[in-house]
Amino acid sequence: MLPEPPANGGYMVAAYIVAPVILVGYLLSLWRRARKVLQGD
Amino acid sequence: MTTTDPSARIIARGLRTSVAALAGLAVVYVLAIGFTPVEARQGVAQKIFYLHVPSAWCALLAFSLVGIGSALYLWLQDPRLDRFAAASAEVGVAFAAVMLTTGPIWAKPIWGTWWTWDARLTLTLFLFFLFVGYLALRASLHDPAERARFSAVVGILGMLLVPFIHLSVYLFRTLHPQPIVLKPSAPSLPPEMLRTLLVSTAVFTLLYIGLVTLRYGLAMAEEAREEAGDAA
Repeated sequence: MLPEPPANGGYMVAAYIVAPVILVGYLLSLWRRARKVLQGD
Repeated sequence: MTTTDPSARIIARGLRTSVAALAGLAVVYVLAIGFTPVEARQGVAQKIFYLHVPSAWCALLAFSLVGIGSALYLWLQDPRLDRFAAASAEVGVAFAAVMLTTGPIWAKPIWGTWWTWDARLTLTLFLFFLFVGYLALRASLHDPAERARFSAVVGILGMLLVPFIHLSVYLFRTLHPQPIVLKPSAPSLPPEMLRTLLVSTAVFTLLYIGLVTLRYGLAMAEEAREEAGDAA
């Protein structure tokens, strides 16, 4: 019989938050820069 | 934003593709959390793998394409190739940041340490810093031809690191797991895990395409604005 898997779900939650924060943050920064350039500010 | 402006059209296309990829990322989360089994020895933390591996794939793909685009630029002198290389480098740095944060978050519960200076990790960190330097170099040079030429050399040197990083787990004694999909034999993963990994890799690749398209369009718009400023 296999032992119970370790209880380490908190690490998964942290990684699953950090990854989209970086990627969405980068996307938003590109979008903001593009809007600024296209509007000629 | 005017639709007749080619850079605005490219930016809009990149934005749409990126948003579609982010919607795909939500599907990946549902698949990974709800429909993929928990690995018996590593526990739930193993599911970090479905973000870490695709982000590593995209970072290494991006940096390889920087090198190819840069080499072609030096040969053909086409500014579109330099623009593409710059876009791919910046997006690659974003994916490398995801890889270098999710990796230690996985390593802490599995290895008992956030970081170890083994060959794979050290070379990857070095690659990340090299491309941060590439972006700093581009920002510091104002002559477009000089900027493109100097950064192309750095981009090609960066690309040369990529195969060493992939093969480092074979060449050196390392804690990092060996490849389980990109290897000569069949992938060593249960089918449900392989499915989630492949879906996630496709979604991350789509996000790479969307972000590079958006960054490329932004570079075009910035160049057009600079030229208009010079002409005035």
